[in-house]
Amino acid sequence: MFEREDETVERVIQHLRRPVAIDRGLDARVMREIAQVPPEGRRVRPLWPLVAAAAVVATVLVARPWNRNAASQADTLQFVLVAPQAASVALVGDFNDWDPARSPMQTAHGGGIWATVVRLAPGRYRYAFLVNGVEWRADPNAPAAKDDEFGTPSSVITVGGRGGGS
Amino acid sequence: MGIHKVEPSDAELVRRVRAGDTGAYGALVSRYRDRLGRYAVHMIGDREDAEEALQDSFVRAYRSLARCDDPARFGAWLYGILVNRCRTTGARAARRRRMFVRDAQALDVAAHADQADRLDWTDAVDRALARLAPDYREAFLLKHVDDLEYEEIAELTGAGVSALKMRVKRAREQLQKYLREAEHV
Repeated sequence: MFEREDETVERVIQHLRRPVAIDRGLDARVMREIAQVPPEGRRVRPLWPLVAAAAVVATVLVARPWNRNAASQADTLQFVLVAPQAASVALVGDFNDWDPARSPMQTAHGGGIWATVVRLAPGRYRYAFLVNGVEWRADPNAPAAKDDEFGTPSSVITVGGRGGGS
Repeated sequence: MGIHKVEPSDAELVRRVRAGDTGAYGALVSRYRDRLGRYAVHMIGDREDAEEALQDSFVRAYRSLARCDDPARFGAWLYGILVNRCRTTGARAARRRRMFVRDAQALDVAAHADQADRLDWTDAVDRALARLAPDYREAFLLKHVDDLEYEEIAELTGAGVSALKMRVKRAREQLQKYLREAEHV
């Protein structure tokens, strides 16, 4: 009985291991699509390696809407990170194709407080902070992204179309 | 003997891409297309959705190549992206249709009476696979079809090894049950 059942599963496995023909045109489609946007690696210029990163104290102070355009229902959000030892911090996420050049954070408040403002339409976004161009940090005060597919920490923010902002 | 072409390693290709050689990424796509495609087709159950998920995974991986900490393990990292992408696509597809859509190529086989048994078997396996819970199907395919170690699967899926062993065991039991039922229809 058991032998017969094992044989059945083994037959299934052998069946599923057979090659599956994938459209060769997929290669061209991928290459066409990636030609539009260069990879992050060529945009990120890690000017300061991990020297300061170990001393970074990261705490998000504010992640809330401060102004709302009722017409578009998009929220303007200020992201703040305390990182006294950091030489540079960028906000990266789904909303900017994880491109650090598009949302660099500024130390306008002094004391290692880094901030940037982004405008987000309603939706769920994953994001992280890129410290010194090399260290990916999740937002310690926001839900962690459970489905992070890149193997680096990230957080989730949900922007509501009406009512609550994040 | 003779001249043998030495294929560049994943790490070398990733290094070239990062240096600006976009064409090197084409070699990576070609290298992983069929293996990952097979996983996506079996996991999602629909060829069109599977190829879309595969294409999207390749593009996401390219755009996020800076986040690949160990270029020598590019394949494993890419697998992780695809596994997640298949979860999203599979959930969406499940909402869109209840029934598993069998590979369209298999329908062509129906025209040949001498291949009827093969069609029946293909059909039965596809349907049995589709009836598995997605996390059971995922663990079963990664373990038995893609031949990964449990530790590797744990890294890809975020599930513990003991949970994965249980999922694979349950998947095997349920596949046997569903195929037995199919025999008696």
